Amino acid sequence: MRILVIEDDKDVASFIRNGLVQAGCNVDHADNGKDGLFLATTESYDALVVDRMLPGVDGLTLIRTLRASENSTPVLILSALGEVDDRVKGLKAGGDDYLVKPFAFSELLARLEALERRAKSGTEATSTVLRAADLEMDLLRREVRRNGEPIDLQPREFQLLEFLLRHAGQVVTRTMLLEGVWDYHFDPQTNVIDVHISRLRSKIDRGFDRPLLHTVRGVGYRLDG
Amino acid sequence: MRLPKLLRTSVLQLTLVYMALFGVSVVALFGFIYWSTLGYLERQTNETIQVEIDGLFEQYERRNLQGLADIIAERVQRDDENRSVYLLADTFGRPLAGNVRSWPRELDNLTDQWIDFVKPDENGAQTPVRAGVVRIGPGLRLLVGRDIRELAQIRQVFKRASIYGLTLTMGLALLGGVLMALSARRRLAELNRTTRRIMAGDLSQRAPIKGTRDEHDELATNINAMLDQIEGLLAGMRHVGDSVAHDLRGPLTRLRNRLETVATAAHPRREDIAECVEQVEHVLDTFNALLRIARVESGAHRSAFAGVDLERTVRDVCELYQAAADDRQIALVCDVRAAVEVFGDRELLAQALTNLLDNAVKYTPAGGKVTVTLERTDDTARIHVADSGPGVPAADRERVLQRFTRLDQARSQPGNGLGLALVKAVALQHHGRLALGDNAPGLIVTIEIPALVRAPAPLSSLPAAMPRTAG
Repeated sequence: MRILVIEDDKDVASFIRNGLVQAGCNVDHADNGKDGLFLATTESYDALVVDRMLPGVDGLTLIRTLRASENSTPVLILSALGEVDDRVKGLKAGGDDYLVKPFAFSELLARLEALERRAKSGTEATSTVLRAADLEMDLLRREVRRNGEPIDLQPREFQLLEFLLRHAGQVVTRTMLLEGVWDYHFDPQTNVIDVHISRLRSKIDRGFDRPLLHTVRGVGYRLDG
Repeated sequence: MRLPKLLRTSVLQLTLVYMALFGVSVVALFGFIYWSTLGYLERQTNETIQVEIDGLFEQYERRNLQGLADIIAERVQRDDENRSVYLLADTFGRPLAGNVRSWPRELDNLTDQWIDFVKPDENGAQTPVRAGVVRIGPGLRLLVGRDIRELAQIRQVFKRASIYGLTLTMGLALLGGVLMALSARRRLAELNRTTRRIMAGDLSQRAPIKGTRDEHDELATNINAMLDQIEGLLAGMRHVGDSVAHDLRGPLTRLRNRLETVATAAHPRREDIAECVEQVEHVLDTFNALLRIARVESGAHRSAFAGVDLERTVRDVCELYQAAADDRQIALVCDVRAAVEVFGDRELLAQALTNLLDNAVKYTPAGGKVTVTLERTDDTARIHVADSGPGVPAADRERVLQRFTRLDQARSQPGNGLGLALVKAVALQHHGRLALGDNAPGLIVTIEIPALVRAPAPLSSLPAAMPRTAG
């Protein structure tokens, strides 16, 4: 993955850069909006990480400019402002995802991977059947089968599995699940998500030799692709 | 140009405007009185003269010049009080009959009109006269007049009274205005003095209240209420500041100690570092929760308020916690008795409810029961979260709503003591309230929020006989 990080805080920038390089990414860095906009428009990247408050050109203006010139590189906005209206403003400006500082690096990586994946698969026709290994979800008939055997899921479990299937092979964090499935942007203190996952796991993995739904310790979950 | 201070007061400016209005009114009033009294007398005089002229003219036509002269002479004779004035004169102004010695010079060439003139008397006194002059024949002019000395006197008196009255009215109005302005200034100066002292830092100052219940008192009362609120907020802030310092010092100290151990260890263990990260996370969580409460209390969310379907929110959050409750062998019951819409922020309401359920599930022992009820009475939406846990003693119920309050029995559980503070802030921002009660056994928390008034829910409007489709 080739990623451009536009962030003026040196510590945060090197934290992101080191992490991404370790994860095998190719990283460019700009410490102001002007240079960032120049790089983003002249080079080709898989994703951008843009801080919302930047010297020169601020983050949201930068994204708007990019989108106006029909550059559709996925953008992850970083911001210290975490309220719903801030988030909505960021997404309206053309951002694809929004991450509030401070954040865990694993969260950033998981979201970047999801963005990149979505950008790549975005061109494919929206299929009505999602698959992962021998697990199959028919979105029209609202049916789930594993190895041909029907699995009975509650509506919310269905949504949860759908989200995991759409991100199959990737790590998804608890907050991503809470946002994607429940549409809540706050953090419940108890890990209610874990319980939902373990229920879903018992339904799709019990009785099969090969488990599909894995816990990635300290980060989140991954459904094997 | 700088006006003198008193002139700039609004009360005095108002007084001046009123004075002008008053002056105009008084002048108009006097004018009307003049017209209806003196004017009437004048008109009466004119009428009398006119009648007499008509009569004399008739006599002239019937009895010629000599007859007219005789009648005039007779009338002059008869007029003891000498109030009537007659003069019959030829073209050259030579008197033929009457009690005026010569044709008044100012009346030369005047005919057929009303005129006031002064008739000199024998004894030198001058008598003001109102007269009508007519031409009655070739070269003959007749003047018939009335002594209007009384009328002139009354007019004089009236004029004097008007001027005195107007002056007096204006003077009194000005005096009253100045006094009122001075008194208003004095009251406002007191308020200004108080606010200046408060700005200088003495927040215990209060505006004086006279007990007159006028608008100044009302203003002073409002200012005092505002000051009470500000003082309360400041005290609250101080309390929060102290609590933050106190509550974060613990974890930060532990973190520092652990980091020191890691830093000096020959072979630092990964788990130790992971634990440090976890502790930092806990501190950050606390900060985030504090920020969120502050954000909610500041009212920043209000601009994004919209209609929120409480039924959906309650069901969603219950569903979110259902699995966790099952896991702990707690029966979680979601009892929605009415569909209610409120004006608010969906996310905040969901988080408030989440915090309540989090507490309920956390503190209820296995085998217990948690019930979430949504009901509506009149125009109030009410959410109850009741559990069968240990409950909160009545004495502590007010305290647990404050930031960082954690009861002893809660200290063994994870948490930062900010959950209920957020719930309270959310309830208040929705113009609602939060109450804690005894569920005997357990705790019952009630959030009340004003409901949006909508058409009755379709379910209740269905005829009772209508079969419901199975869901």
